[in-house]
Amino acid sequence: MTGSVDRRFVVDAAAHRRDAPRFCPSCACALSLTTEFWEADDRRFYCWCGGCGWTGEITGTGDVAVGHEPVSAAPC
Amino acid sequence: MLTAEQNDELTQVEAGTRMGEVLRRYWYPVAFTRELAEFPVKRVQLLGDFFALWRTPSGRYGIIPEPCPHRKASMAYGVVESDGLRCPYHGWKFDTEGACVEQPAERENTQFQSRVRADAGVVEELGGLVWAYVGPAPAPRLPRFDTYVMAGFRDIGWADLPCNYVQIMENAVDPHHVEFLHGRYFEFIGRHEGFTAPASFGKEHVKIGFTPFEWGIIKRRVLKGASEENDDWKVGHPLVFPYNMRVGGGGVHQMQIRVPIDRTTTRFLLYTVHSPDGYEHVEQPTIPDYRIPVLDEHGRHVTNYVEGQDIMAWVTQGAITDRTTEHLGRSDIGVAMLRKMFREQMDVVAAGGDPLGTIRDEHERIDLPCEKDKFHAGGAQFALDFCDMGSTRFSPMLDAIKKIHISAADRIAAGKTGSEPAG
Repeated sequence: MTGSVDRRFVVDAAAHRRDAPRFCPSCACALSLTTEFWEADDRRFYCWCGGCGWTGEITGTGDVAVGHEPVSAAPC
Repeated sequence: MLTAEQNDELTQVEAGTRMGEVLRRYWYPVAFTRELAEFPVKRVQLLGDFFALWRTPSGRYGIIPEPCPHRKASMAYGVVESDGLRCPYHGWKFDTEGACVEQPAERENTQFQSRVRADAGVVEELGGLVWAYVGPAPAPRLPRFDTYVMAGFRDIGWADLPCNYVQIMENAVDPHHVEFLHGRYFEFIGRHEGFTAPASFGKEHVKIGFTPFEWGIIKRRVLKGASEENDDWKVGHPLVFPYNMRVGGGGVHQMQIRVPIDRTTTRFLLYTVHSPDGYEHVEQPTIPDYRIPVLDEHGRHVTNYVEGQDIMAWVTQGAITDRTTEHLGRSDIGVAMLRKMFREQMDVVAAGGDPLGTIRDEHERIDLPCEKDKFHAGGAQFALDFCDMGSTRFSPMLDAIKKIHISAADRIAAGKTGSEPAG
């Protein structure tokens, strides 16, 4: 019964349906609620598991693991 | 961003839906006390259902579903009698417990009133409002929140808004909107209409935080120039689950009430108590209520006052906002937290438990945390801005209210206190 869908962002809605985490990382039950929000380039999912009560954020990282350079490191 | 199914579930209010069943565990204001003193029966819509609400001459209240169990004529046109409400069509009478006590057209040997009950709710009066509980028995206690029982001068502004109540509640855990909707936008409108918007509303947010507690979620903020020692962070103010927000400051105490009338209509009430330090009691035989404007004569939202700006934002999001294509950021984390709370309580009720914020113990008063020095703007100045720039501007009591704040401040300044500050 919700109102009309904003056609400009149906791709984002489809991506959410495709990518939102489905299972609790703690107990492996189906997650009860997953709200997606964005932070810079990241897509973050604020998740809650009604099975074990776990609440947390899940963020996909892709293949690349990003660290940071030590503050005192000399340039190469 | 949610799926369409999650958005549907979150925004339902009807009986038999998961969220509708949560909502039926709470008390709601359904009339002003003065209304039933003026005429003793009223048609009420709540959570998508219609009811007949009445007050007997001795002061007992009753509420039953609007259709008469006989042939469905409206009991809201019923005849109020000392011991019940009589259907205007054929005279069946129901008492406040919902029992059918008379079937006049039936002979004594053909009556069957013990076989038809009217599913009565429970009704109480508190703070100038008539409250109803229409969920499963036994009813919890009506929560006696501080605003409804504290000493002070009261009025109630209200409007019916064409949108789902959840998007209004999401605004209650969205501190950043104040800076823009009531800050930058207010200044913009003020420049065009020739007034000066209150400076305190435009202060920059440095930090926001949310704490779940026994009545809902406490919202906190640190504004530029302030610290975690200021009331805005140290005390904050609460979203009172599932349909209220307690706000205030500078001797103003307010409960913002958002009653789900049906899925796409919300009754917005601003229950305000003025009780500054130095307040001297003013007699109020009845608590005045007044409509606040939503649209102007051109059909545009009236946005030159604080709540009118909120209403514009809530209503223009759509009757039920499309959460499948929204784009939340980190600053919207309170919204995500609230959705989790709604979803948690669906599970609690489905498992047969009492949801958050229901109370079964007898109690005198429930004090809610609420900052006194809001936006570190100074008490009296905040109160006067509240009067001139908020919905109180439309109150028939505006002059009396301003006088209360000014004379209380004068009394304090002169060092002679009035009655002890309430609240």
